[in-house]
Amino acid sequence: MSTEITEPLSPTTGEPVSTTSRRDRLGVWLIIASCTTGTVSLLIAYSYLWSLNVNNAWAPTEGSANWAADWPFWAIAGGMVIGTLLIWRGYGALKKGNVGAMKSMALISTLILLACFIGQIFQIATFPFGPQDGAYASATLWLALANCIWLSLAFFFTQALFNRARRGRLTPDNPSHAQFVAMFLTYLCVAALLSAVFTLVMKDSPNTNSPTFGTFQQ
Amino acid sequence: MSTVISPPGGGTTVAIHEQPHVPQPKQVGKPGGFLRRTNFLTAVISGIVLAAIFYFVTVAIVNKVTGGGQQDDLSLPDGLQAEIAMMYIGWVIGFMAGIGAFAGPIRWFLGNDLTHADAEYMSGKDMGREKYWKYTTDHKVVGIQYFIVMMVLFGVGGLLAMLIRTELGITWAEVFNPNFYNSLIGTHGIVMIIAMIIAVTGPLGNFIMPLMVGARDMAFPRLNALSIWLLVAAIPPLISNLFMGGIRDGWTVYQPLADQSPVGMIGYQITIIVFAFSTGIASVNLITTIVAMRAKGMTWSRVPIFIYGILGSAIMGLIWFPMYQYSQILALSDRVLQTSFFTPASGGSVWLYENLFWLLGHPEVYVIVLPATAALLELMPVFLRKPLFSYKLAIAGIFGIVGLSAVVWVHHMYMTGWAPASNYPFMLSTELISIPFSFLVLVMLGTMWRGAPWTKLPMMAVYAVIWNKVIGGITGVYLSDTPVDQYMHGSMFVVAHFHFMLMGAGLFGAMAAIAYWFPKMINRYLDERIASIGFWTAFVGFQITFFAMFVAGLQGMPRRVLQFDSLFNVANWVSTIGAYIIGTGMLIFLYAIITSWRGGELAPGNPWGAHTLEAQTETPVPHENFPVLPVVTSDPYDYGVPDPYELADDDAIREAEGVAKVGA
Amino acid sequence: MSTVDERTPEADEPEVPTNRPPGMHLASDWLKRPYVRRILILTVVIAAVIIALTFVMVAFMNMSGGPASDIQAQIEQTMFVLTFASAPLMGFTLAILTYSWWGGWGKVTTETEPTEEGPAIRTNGVAVVTWITVCSLLAAFLVIWGLVALAQITAGSYGSTPVNQQPNATKAIDINVTGQQWLWSFEYPDNGRITSDVLVVPINVPLYFNVTSKDVVHSFWVVEAGVKIDANPGAITNTGFTPNKLGSFNVRCAELCGLHHAYMETKMQVVTQEQFNSWVREQGGVKTS
Repeated sequence: MSTEITEPLSPTTGEPVSTTSRRDRLGVWLIIASCTTGTVSLLIAYSYLWSLNVNNAWAPTEGSANWAADWPFWAIAGGMVIGTLLIWRGYGALKKGNVGAMKSMALISTLILLACFIGQIFQIATFPFGPQDGAYASATLWLALANCIWLSLAFFFTQALFNRARRGRLTPDNPSHAQFVAMFLTYLCVAALLSAVFTLVMKDSPNTNSPTFGTFQQ
Repeated sequence: MSTVISPPGGGTTVAIHEQPHVPQPKQVGKPGGFLRRTNFLTAVISGIVLAAIFYFVTVAIVNKVTGGGQQDDLSLPDGLQAEIAMMYIGWVIGFMAGIGAFAGPIRWFLGNDLTHADAEYMSGKDMGREKYWKYTTDHKVVGIQYFIVMMVLFGVGGLLAMLIRTELGITWAEVFNPNFYNSLIGTHGIVMIIAMIIAVTGPLGNFIMPLMVGARDMAFPRLNALSIWLLVAAIPPLISNLFMGGIRDGWTVYQPLADQSPVGMIGYQITIIVFAFSTGIASVNLITTIVAMRAKGMTWSRVPIFIYGILGSAIMGLIWFPMYQYSQILALSDRVLQTSFFTPASGGSVWLYENLFWLLGHPEVYVIVLPATAALLELMPVFLRKPLFSYKLAIAGIFGIVGLSAVVWVHHMYMTGWAPASNYPFMLSTELISIPFSFLVLVMLGTMWRGAPWTKLPMMAVYAVIWNKVIGGITGVYLSDTPVDQYMHGSMFVVAHFHFMLMGAGLFGAMAAIAYWFPKMINRYLDERIASIGFWTAFVGFQITFFAMFVAGLQGMPRRVLQFDSLFNVANWVSTIGAYIIGTGMLIFLYAIITSWRGGELAPGNPWGAHTLEAQTETPVPHENFPVLPVVTSDPYDYGVPDPYELADDDAIREAEGVAKVGA
Repeated sequence: MSTVDERTPEADEPEVPTNRPPGMHLASDWLKRPYVRRILILTVVIAAVIIALTFVMVAFMNMSGGPASDIQAQIEQTMFVLTFASAPLMGFTLAILTYSWWGGWGKVTTETEPTEEGPAIRTNGVAVVTWITVCSLLAAFLVIWGLVALAQITAGSYGSTPVNQQPNATKAIDINVTGQQWLWSFEYPDNGRITSDVLVVPINVPLYFNVTSKDVVHSFWVVEAGVKIDANPGAITNTGFTPNKLGSFNVRCAELCGLHHAYMETKMQVVTQEQFNSWVREQGGVKTS
């Protein structure tokens, strides 16, 4: 039996928090790995359909007027990056003993992510196409929808950090949950940035002579 | 020998019950809180209630938006897509809320952390039978829950198989109409796939694995409860599809054919989406437990090989399942939102679906086969009283399979025409994966070499499984060869091949593993005589069924057909007779399980004389598994006496050293 | 518990003391052990059975009149090659399995745990290296054989190419194959775009198929010719072969495509050139130029 307890113990299992947080961190890495495959699926869908241009139905209409605007993707991704950096900053401050900084970073981050979430919904609602308007429309819609779902999760996590910091569950001795949220948010930023890059760079399909559906002519 | 030694000084990971003075958060209500009031019944009720609410609200919204012009006929593809989808989503959310799954995250969000008393309540301490119906975190309870669910799924899948073979055996008439027959094969396929994925990893990965690594529970006990209850929530949507038009498109539900199915297809899609979450969460739990919670002294070179098999399987499941999940999300979106991921007329691609599907579809078969194989590798040394041959080679084989499984998926798509040049490298990678497999075969053969088997069912089953693996393996070599696949793809030859692998090696292997660990889980011996009769009856029937099926495939019979050229009649008659024999054998095996569970001979803690940690626990396993966490000093395969052929090499030196050298 | 393995029979001759590391036996010594001899004999017997079964397998494949093309003949030859090459290893594996199961090294049939233990063989370097080498060589052989065969039968035949790309084979007959729920239709663009639901082709003339679907994924399988390619909606895929046998053969759909997938079959009639020309005329088309 240890004679001096220098670090907090987990209330449920009695193990030192350093042990449980190491274990939890591995779990978070594994969850991120799994979520990554999901994001990759959407990016594969986008890029593969872009390259195939089946039945010449990749683009929403003949012209380029109906591509989605680029700036909302980047604005939202930018907001997410800022929100993530704030959490990292808060975590760093928390480790040094500054719980107040953690609380304020979490609060600001929550508000930014909420703004991103609303912005994302607005972007989806104002797309110049509907889900039925071809492959580009479908893939772009889903990149945005997935981001929307991630943003609601991110809002939940940052708000939770704020609550927990306020109630003293997030302390300099036991700061790991802030790190986990920051790690997950970083992954979300990468996903959002990749979506922005893909939608910026892959617009017109390189395949311009796909066969007409059901026939043998182009 | 892996000994249980009291760690000096009490160690650093002593259970909480020896350390009562850890500061606790405030106890909110009685221990367990909201979970005191939740169980399976409340989950079902709230699932149904929320499903109904979601359904009617969606109906109202859709009618408002479309002005009431919706097609109401459930059997037509355009009827009620969004409403049925929301109904299923409502069922899942309601069910999970009703079992208490959201209590944890909400409490975490609010900062009302669990206390030790809460955790004890949730682990089902002193709770009796009730704990099996609740959101219980104890890995032993979850293991039993998985065991029951798995047997239910096998029962359903097996019944469907009997119906399928009946149709195929009655070659002079159509017993079922083609739509129903197509539903039978699709549902049989997916039910069996799900059952096989959880067959070993579910009951044994949960119950046995933490004991085997010397832990008190898994890394994330609440996630453990979450994964089993998500699985339970996913089953009604799957079964309900049979009453809503069925899954008429095989278990692979290729698009765009699946778009033509009635709304029952949505049940399938929701099932897979939820099941993927269940599997992913379970994988996170398994991997973290194995990596971070091994007993003191259990270095990576002392980890039992069964653990490596579970680890490899969990890694593959974790990485690849989201591909399958997203393929179904996008298919659901095509159906409800009219997007065009997979509808070619509007820019979608069938090849996109096939790639996303098979990127999981191939690793999935190794997810199924690896745990069963590793379980056999684990039990063989015990029944042969020899060390596992070349333990490191077995590990290399397992991880070779895990790595290569990522780059072979296109061999399911040789004939799709999506990228003919890709057939060459994927043929290469598919052949290459036979090499790590051969490592595992060598380990099995080497363990068997010069050993006298103790002829109990788990050991005798190993012979059956290796036989099946060899047949499955050579037929796999044929199929991996693209030119030969040009003839064989889409024929009954493929069906027989994967049944030999997934059922012959997978299911029979799982049965062997269950027979081995039944005494530990249930505290009673599995009736050796009855279970053996059931096992071997099923085995004989299996050979008859699927060898006849190979013949039908060679003759040119396509798969997923209910009527066919009279050339294939004889093969199908024989196959159907074999199938009824399998059914009989499986029922006998099930009977053995049930009677042994209820009144079998009581078993000691270590019925087989194994050296692994779980065999050193008492039976029934105490709530906290080990009174004191064990310390491991060697790997569990230190059986055997000095080899006389080695001794003969240099007797004098041996005697001088006083020690017998073993092996090379 | 005995400390010496009393079950393993002694070698026929006393071992000669050497400086070789333990585990490294002269092959001749190893072969003298009775169980080794028995297992090797079993290996040969089992391998012979497997090889004999190959003929049976290929006979099943030819029951409906095949092979009707070089491709199918090559497929059958590949089956022989794959099986013959794998037979020794399969035989060895099954021989050990049989020997152990039958009790060649003894059996413990007691209710209680065995009291004796087997030889503590943790590994054997020679066995591992030999096994890995043999398996790798076998895999390499199978791969190379398969890749070469694949290249040979591909030669401009199957795969997905844009419609306007010319096939390698000269003077091939182009045939457009359309799969739809639930029938096949064939169009002959070189012969005045006549259509037919039976695939009529002249013998010994290369055929080049453009395949597509009007609805869901089907698979165009000319059974006795050994060719198969999916009919994908929204894409055109290709395959080809040269029929070298007269007669009536099967065209089946090999991908589940809905309600009447089982009935989506038709016939391929391989006829002489004159019969083909008169058939084309009857359909209202023109002879191939």
